[in-house]
Amino acid sequence: MTPQSKALNAALLCSALAFSSAAYAQEIKIGFNGDLSASPSAQSGQAGVLGIQAAIDDINAAGGVLGRKLTLVVRDDLSQPPKSIQNMSDLIDNEKVVAVLGPTNSGNALAWKHIPNQKKNPSIGCIGSATDITKPMSASADNYMYRVSMVDRAQVAGLIAYAKSNPKTKNVGFLVETTGYGQGGLKDLQELAEAKGLKPIATEKFGVNDTDMTSQLNKLKAAGVDTVLVWAQGTPIGQLVRSMEKINYFPVTLTSWSSDNASFYDTAGKNLAEKPVFMRTITEDRTPKQQQLYDRLAPKMTSKSAFSFAAHCYDALMITAAAIKQAGGTEGAKMREALENLQAPVEGIMKTYTKPFSATEHEALTASDYRWTVWKDGRLVSYTDDVVKALKPSDFTQ
Amino acid sequence: MLDVYLQTLLSGLAVGGVYALIALGFSITFTTTKTLNFAQGEFISFGAFIGVTMLLLLSGLASTTTAVPSEAASAWRYPAAVIGAGAVAGFMGILIFLLAVKPFAGKGGMNWVMSTLGFGVMLQSLGLAIWGPAPVMVPSPLGDNVLRIAGAGVRPQELLVLACAILIMVALDLVMRRSRIGKAMMAVAHSPQTASLMGINVNLVMIGAFALSSGLAGVAGVLIAPIASASLFMGMGFALKAFSGAIIGGLNNPRGCIYGGFILGVLESGIGLWQAQWREIVVFGLIILVLAFRPAGLFGQAAVDKV
Repeated sequence: MTPQSKALNAALLCSALAFSSAAYAQEIKIGFNGDLSASPSAQSGQAGVLGIQAAIDDINAAGGVLGRKLTLVVRDDLSQPPKSIQNMSDLIDNEKVVAVLGPTNSGNALAWKHIPNQKKNPSIGCIGSATDITKPMSASADNYMYRVSMVDRAQVAGLIAYAKSNPKTKNVGFLVETTGYGQGGLKDLQELAEAKGLKPIATEKFGVNDTDMTSQLNKLKAAGVDTVLVWAQGTPIGQLVRSMEKINYFPVTLTSWSSDNASFYDTAGKNLAEKPVFMRTITEDRTPKQQQLYDRLAPKMTSKSAFSFAAHCYDALMITAAAIKQAGGTEGAKMREALENLQAPVEGIMKTYTKPFSATEHEALTASDYRWTVWKDGRLVSYTDDVVKALKPSDFTQ
Repeated sequence: MLDVYLQTLLSGLAVGGVYALIALGFSITFTTTKTLNFAQGEFISFGAFIGVTMLLLLSGLASTTTAVPSEAASAWRYPAAVIGAGAVAGFMGILIFLLAVKPFAGKGGMNWVMSTLGFGVMLQSLGLAIWGPAPVMVPSPLGDNVLRIAGAGVRPQELLVLACAILIMVALDLVMRRSRIGKAMMAVAHSPQTASLMGINVNLVMIGAFALSSGLAGVAGVLIAPIASASLFMGMGFALKAFSGAIIGGLNNPRGCIYGGFILGVLESGIGLWQAQWREIVVFGLIILVLAFRPAGLFGQAAVDKV
């Protein structure tokens, strides 16, 4: 190789690099990290990605953010914490995404929440509901974990408030599954019940794969429990109501929002599925905006009941875009400041967000955005009765 | 109070029937080849989905993503799906023997443990690629109305599983003890070399044992699906419990395995009346006790090594 050709090559290489990094800089990358294939909750992750992509399409069609297009980089974590941690570093360090949405499983967010905080890269959860996900690493530390979804503790507060205000409730029992999800819920149930002066007279547990809970229910029945608060996943709650039928014992049943899963409905069967009352963010009495997004995504959605995650994730992306716009760039610390002090309201699917986050509030959706829900003729519909009507926002304090 | 105990017994027997059926599969391969198929759990899940697919194909009905319509399981279709799933799983059993067990069988070492586990992982990944991760509810051919027996409730499908488990157990027991094939299997179990000298095709008997054991897992999958709903993650839990039942009853005694499965089911349901969260501790505590004091299981004969 002659010196000239060497120089020529170097010049060509430099210009190629410069060109590619210029093209690179024009697009803003957003990451999604969550389970898309490996566990029953993968359907929620798939719906979430559909929602994010829809929001990105809408923003790009309107000219992008700061004149730059948004793109989505998706990583499947197979619901495994080690894979999820690895994805997080890959997205932030290699792909240079400016924010990460997801994950599907709460446990995975808890496994990597130190990473967004160390790398000052905002993470906006839109599926997992564990209370601790958005807690700061230490009391005064900057916190890069945000959420646009349901929060376990706020639901628990709702269920406790219902049981406490129901004049027909004399004896309350707790029923939870033995997984981390069930045990986390039990902790919230016990703490909030004590704070509100509600004393459960029995607490029973069951396995997530159990097909028969008659023994536990017979104990509650013998103790005279007339209202059960249940914290478990969809399929075991389905088995629970089936066991209730076996011993013909139907107390007032208030459950975690997992009863909205298709797996609950199919396990319980049409009639028994109508027993539990629970809270969720969307019922099938949709607002026009929700209906519009639903119609757009329905052909691609594998599970109808997972639509709420599509809506949460759509809104999470909209809020992220608004923060980039206000920050005038994608630097993490500036995005955090913008997120915690958004000036312009953000038009979302769930609602219009006016200052959704602050330095201390990292939940965009709170108890007053939740709906009481039941299954009716195979649809998730809003539920109301005298107890629900009498509940005031102050009853939901945590 | 009596109805509570009856409910506990019935519920326990219903779950125990499932354990017994799968435990029997473990015993069949162990007695003939001294190896175990650790992919048994995946065979159950796989079998359940073969059953789902067959129900849909035979009835020509479309499935929603999460449930099979109840008409699809009516009349002859459900038994056909059970047999079909058994046949497909049995064929996969021949594959797992030829690919993952035979190269290592009789060579000492535990290579077959890893290779059968690996086969199970492959089977699960294949299943996920075909059917996806969502659980699918399968209707029972006998309907879903609770039957009342002296105040205790039970679903028809649970009685069906119980009946099938007992029927298959009795049939296999007869075959093993009365027929030439059964005697050949017992001869191979006793000593492959001697059996071979007696003119028994040892290889064929071993293939047969794996086909039978895997076929049983497939059948169990379709039978459990209306109770637990078909899911590619459902098999593992059942297989672990069934294996525990087999250990309690005695791995080298098919009858003992069945009893072990039933004992475990009733025990679990009984512990639920006391403190459900202690269930696993009691169950696995019992296994350790059995292994310590009766290593061959409660119903197993102690092997006498003659020098």
